[in-house]
Amino acid sequence: MPAVRAEKLYKVFGKRAAKAVDLLADGRHRDRIAHLNVTAAVIDVSFEVRPGEIFVVMGLSGSGKSTLIRMLNGLLPPTAGTVEVDGTDITRLSKSGLRELRSRRISMVFQHFALFPHRSVLDNAAYGLEVRGVPREERRDAARRALALVGLEGWEEKVPGQLSGGMQQRVGLARALAADTDIILMDEAFSALDPLIRRDMQTQLLELQATLGKTIIFITHDLNEAMRLGDRICVLRDGRVAQIGTAEEILNDPANDYVAQFVEDVDRTRVLTAASVMESPIPVIDPSHGPRAALRTMRDNQTVSAFVVRRDRRLVGAVREGAIGQAVREGATSLDGLVDTDIERVHPDTSLADLFAQAAESPYPLAVVDADERLVGVIPRVTLLAALAPATPAAAPAAPTGDAKPVADAEPAAAPAADTAPAADAGPAPDDAPPPDGAAAAAPATSDDEGSRA
Amino acid sequence: MTATALTIDVPRLPVGESFDAAIEWLRANLRPLFSFIGMVIETCVDALTGLFAATSATQFTLLAAAVVAGALLARGVRRPVYIAVAAWAVLYIAELAAGAAAAVIGSLPAPLFLWAMGLFGAEYVYPPLVLALLLLAALTAVSLALVRHRRTWLVTGGAWAALLLVLVLHFIAGVQLALLVAPLFVVLALAVAGWRVALFAAIGFLLIISMDKWDNAMSSLALIIVATVIAVGVSLPIGVLAAYNDRVSAVLKPLLDFMQTLPAFVYLLPAIAFFSIGAVPGVIATVIFAMPPGVRLTELGIRQVDPELVEAGEAFGAPDLQILGRIQLPLALATIMAGINQVIMLSLSMVVIAGMVGAGGLGNDVYVGIAQGNVPVGFEGGIAVVILAIYLDRLTGAVTRFSPAARAARARA
Repeated sequence: MPAVRAEKLYKVFGKRAAKAVDLLADGRHRDRIAHLNVTAAVIDVSFEVRPGEIFVVMGLSGSGKSTLIRMLNGLLPPTAGTVEVDGTDITRLSKSGLRELRSRRISMVFQHFALFPHRSVLDNAAYGLEVRGVPREERRDAARRALALVGLEGWEEKVPGQLSGGMQQRVGLARALAADTDIILMDEAFSALDPLIRRDMQTQLLELQATLGKTIIFITHDLNEAMRLGDRICVLRDGRVAQIGTAEEILNDPANDYVAQFVEDVDRTRVLTAASVMESPIPVIDPSHGPRAALRTMRDNQTVSAFVVRRDRRLVGAVREGAIGQAVREGATSLDGLVDTDIERVHPDTSLADLFAQAAESPYPLAVVDADERLVGVIPRVTLLAALAPATPAAAPAAPTGDAKPVADAEPAAAPAADTAPAADAGPAPDDAPPPDGAAAAAPATSDDEGSRA
Repeated sequence: MTATALTIDVPRLPVGESFDAAIEWLRANLRPLFSFIGMVIETCVDALTGLFAATSATQFTLLAAAVVAGALLARGVRRPVYIAVAAWAVLYIAELAAGAAAAVIGSLPAPLFLWAMGLFGAEYVYPPLVLALLLLAALTAVSLALVRHRRTWLVTGGAWAALLLVLVLHFIAGVQLALLVAPLFVVLALAVAGWRVALFAAIGFLLIISMDKWDNAMSSLALIIVATVIAVGVSLPIGVLAAYNDRVSAVLKPLLDFMQTLPAFVYLLPAIAFFSIGAVPGVIATVIFAMPPGVRLTELGIRQVDPELVEAGEAFGAPDLQILGRIQLPLALATIMAGINQVIMLSLSMVVIAGMVGAGGLGNDVYVGIAQGNVPVGFEGGIAVVILAIYLDRLTGAVTRFSPAARAARARA
């Protein structure tokens, strides 16, 4: 069951709202119902927020995001449509039912903090529980714990006016956390903070989210923030949903020109992760095979290097065509001593920005390994560069870039054709199309635009 | 040349007559209500005048007890104080109703009373005084037993010392009351508003005493306090209502303008019709004239509270009344206090007019000055009004410092 579900949600301000909803439902732009003298803030918005995810609603000012978030906890009643929280339709709730919902299930963090200036930091943090009628000592303990969680021990007795902006918003966050609701709404929560503090707060929010597992609905006008925080992002434009998807989906596959224009300036290296650009790790070589088989695998795939992977997909190391070729000529029968085990490994969640240095230094493509040291993909340097180009058709194939270094996997223009040597390989290796090797069948996240150049 | 041909005959509307008829109707049908209101106001004014101008030993003792109780409450000692005060209230009412305090007195050791009676030259033991002394003793015991705080002890000791000093000076040495009560006002100013205001109060009140206007000043003060309490009590809820509801606000605005600008004499007439001559019509006229700023500034103060804070209250599920009581009113307090300050100032400016309808006090002095062309009397009355006005203004202005929002603002600085 989704934590929050919005279904065909409309919010129109003005006397003739119902009429406006009818027109808008037919797909009219909100500027074209100006004659009704209404303001359509939210138009036909539907989405589901899964428990435990950070769902970001992103849009420029006037796109209706603040109105939308206020309908999710009933501060504003929708003109049409329904909002379900944990399966309850809150548009049908009575006033007291709504109060109950807000005090127990959904708390909120505000753009300008909205701390009570006449109360101490501790009493501010305890406010949600105070409203709920929790006894004084109990709620103060809970508030103390929440303040500790956001790193504000020792500030309990101050008043908000004595704190810096970043610290005030931590109090705002602690107030929401102390209320101990499953869902937290954050309305432009970090927009009023300066950039360095904002980044700190984002990091802290991600950490808190990882440990507490709250469902967070986060509103922002900052795309970079949306991409950094959001498990999924809902882009709003003029009150309507332009696109809902993960950061990578929105970046690599924008639903329309508006979204494409929007994501143009995003620092892609910070949004895209290793997992989103990596390719299937082919060819791979089983360490139990001999150098001759390894050489043949590389030649079949027209590469000059390959990763050595055990049958359980654990990465051992990498080999180079030159070294193997020499070993074969010298009559070696085992790969022992030929495998370069000291290679760069990166985690699938590493952002591209952190890959460049490693990619520059390594003679091999970067090996993407999961927590169990299993090889899940590879990132050749070319791929890394191609990922930086915006997702427009013209820029997709980064073309053979004739890299100077021989070890990169750029296709050698006239590679010596398939060698004879029919040694038993791990799997059948047809000549042209790179097949999923037995050991490396799974390279899950390469379904994006990289297909064209594989 | 005759211009009569052009005269258009505008029919005369019986505005004044209808007003008069309405008053007559109200008088005829709601007499019990008005006489009740009049009685309550009169009792309050008399009691306060008595408190200021003819303070009894019991009242001095209760004042000392109130100071000690305040100090204890400020330290967070609540329950024992409430119990002591409640016990005193029960005994006091029982005494008023059935003379029950005599039983308490009878159970106390006799030599104590004989000594005190001898000291003050009294012929009998006055039960309320004994009850007040018992309350003070109980609070002192609480202070000594439960609080480990030197300032609280100092306050307690100071209250006792001041009480004994006042009692001895007045009832034994025979110093006139004005010279004993005025210092109490000065101490109040010192505690609330600082030494400058205290200094002003000392000089000002001394001047009033030297002009022989003390009793009249105290009677006016009592009238002002009663009028202010009523005006604030009425204007606060109306102001809150106006802040919540635009329509109420829109209706209220011209009404308040009307109340403020209609010459005070005009509503003195119906006030006299309802309440006859005396302090009561004075208070009523004062309330009507002084109330508008209370309403306006309450509305303004509540509307000025950051809407995001109110929304924060709503977002955490607080009921409306709680949002009002715990967010809006505390944050609007500074503005509301400014309104109360204005109410007091306007009340003072009505003192003279109240004096015309027999409310007595300084207004009477000024009125007499005007009526008899007696410049000295009128001028002295006016000066006394000014001194009272400045004193009350500074005092209420300083009270704002104690509001939670102001404390927070100071902490920030």
